[in-house]
Amino acid sequence: MTAQPIAVTVAKDLEDLIPTFMKNRSKEVEALRAALAAGNMEQLRQLGHRMKGVGNSYGFELVSTLGKQIEDGAKAGDRAGLEARIAEYADYLARVQIVYE
Amino acid sequence: MSELASGRVAHAAQAAFRVLVVDDDPDMAGFLALLLAQQGMHADIAADGHVALEMIAAAPPDLVLLDVQMPGPSGFDICRRLKSEDSTALLPVVLITALEDHESRVRGIEAGADDFLSKPVQREELLARVKTLRRLHETRKELEGRRLAAEVQAKEAIRKAFSRYLSPRLAERVLRESPDGEAVFRNLSERTAVVALFADLRGFTHLSEAVPVSNIVPMLNEFFTELTAAVHDNEGTVFSMAGDSLLVGFNVPVQQPDATARAVRTARAMIERFAPVAARWRAEHGLATGIGIGIESGEVVVGNVGAPSFMSYTIIGDPVNVAARLMQTAAANEILIGPRAALSLHAMLGGATAVERRAVALKGKAEPLEVVALRVAA
Repeated sequence: MTAQPIAVTVAKDLEDLIPTFMKNRSKEVEALRAALAAGNMEQLRQLGHRMKGVGNSYGFELVSTLGKQIEDGAKAGDRAGLEARIAEYADYLARVQIVYE
Repeated sequence: MSELASGRVAHAAQAAFRVLVVDDDPDMAGFLALLLAQQGMHADIAADGHVALEMIAAAPPDLVLLDVQMPGPSGFDICRRLKSEDSTALLPVVLITALEDHESRVRGIEAGADDFLSKPVQREELLARVKTLRRLHETRKELEGRRLAAEVQAKEAIRKAFSRYLSPRLAERVLRESPDGEAVFRNLSERTAVVALFADLRGFTHLSEAVPVSNIVPMLNEFFTELTAAVHDNEGTVFSMAGDSLLVGFNVPVQQPDATARAVRTARAMIERFAPVAARWRAEHGLATGIGIGIESGEVVVGNVGAPSFMSYTIIGDPVNVAARLMQTAAANEILIGPRAALSLHAMLGGATAVERRAVALKGKAEPLEVVALRVAA
C-alpha cells in the first residue's frame, strides 16, 4: 500500500473538536480489532453503527461508508469482509490529512 | 475516555434556551452541543439515559436531543417516560435516528417524539428543527403562563366572594368540590333544610348611651370578632350582620348532618368567648352586657337576593323568623332553641348549667311555642 495522503475538508468551527475525534477513531480501530478477535459480532455491529452516524457529521465520508459496511458485515457474520474493512479503516486513519475551511 | 463525555458547552452571553443532548458517543454529543452553542443556546450533555433523567429532574431543559441506541434505557424508553409524566410531557423531544431507519421513526412516533433528526447530522437540518421547536416551545410556554395567571385570578375572585360569607375552611371545601364555585350557588335558589342561629348583644342600648361615640364601633367590632370566630370554628355561614345582631346558617351551602349540634356548640362558644370581653367592659365602663341567642331549624329559601349591583347571599323563611324572635325573648347568656331544632337535640345538651322547657309567646305566632332554654355560665 502506498502511503499517499487523503485530504478531508472539515468545517473550520469544528477544529477544536478534531483532536479528540481523531483520538477516539484510533481507539475505535483497536476496539474493532478486539471485537473481531473475540468474535463479538454484536459489538462490531454497534461500533459500525456509531461510525456511520458520526463520520459524515464531521465531514469524514469514508468513516460513515466503512461504518455501514462493518454494521452489515457484522449482521451477516462475514469475518473476512470485516477484517478487510477494519484494515482499510486503519490505513485511512494513517493517511488522512485534514484541511479546515 | 473522551474529554467531552459529561462536559458542558455554553454560550455565555444569551444562554436562555437550554438543550440537553443525550448521546453515548462523545464525538456526536460534542458536535451537536457545539452547533447549538453557536446559535446562542445552552447545551448540556448526558452520556446515558440514567444521567439524562436525573439531569432533567434536577433542572428541566427546554428541549431534549435524544439518541436512540444507547446502553441502558434506549431513546424510546426515555422519550416514553418523559411524555408520560405531567411535569415533562410538554418538553419537546427530538429523536436522532439513522436516515434509512423507518422502523425507529415509527417507534419514535409511538413513544411521543416531537421530531426526528437524521444521522449523519446535517447542520442545516439540525438548526432548522431546533429553531422550529424553540418557537413552538416559547409560544406554548407563554400560553400556559397566561392560562395559569387567568386561572389563579378567577380562583382568587371566587375565594374572595366566598370568604365574605363562609368560614375559610368551608370556603376551601366548597372550592375543592366545585372549582368554579358555580355548582354550589346554582343549587341554592331553592328550598333547603337549615339550622338558623340569631345572636345579639344585650345591654347595647346602655352601651350606646354610656360610652363615647368614638368607642362604639371598636367595641362592636370586638363583639363581632368573638362571635365570628365561634361561627368559623364550627363551619357556620354568616348571612347577615346588622346593628348588634348576627344571622348564621348551618347545613348550608354544604350539607352538615350534625347541623343542630354545630349551632348549639356555636351558641355556647359565642357566650363563652364573649364573657371575658363583657367582664372588661363591666370593669371599664360599668356596663352589664351579655348575648341572647335563638336557634330554629326547618326549610328556607336560600339564594342571592338583590339587584345586580348589590346582591346578598341570604336565607328566608319561618325558621329564620322564629330564631330572630327567640333571640329577642332570650335573657342575657340564654340560648332559646325552637321546637323543631329541639327535636334533634336530646344527646347534646350536657354541660349547660340549666335546661328548661318553656312555652314562649312570640310576636307573629298565634300559639305559644314550646322551647328549650339553655343557660350558659358566662
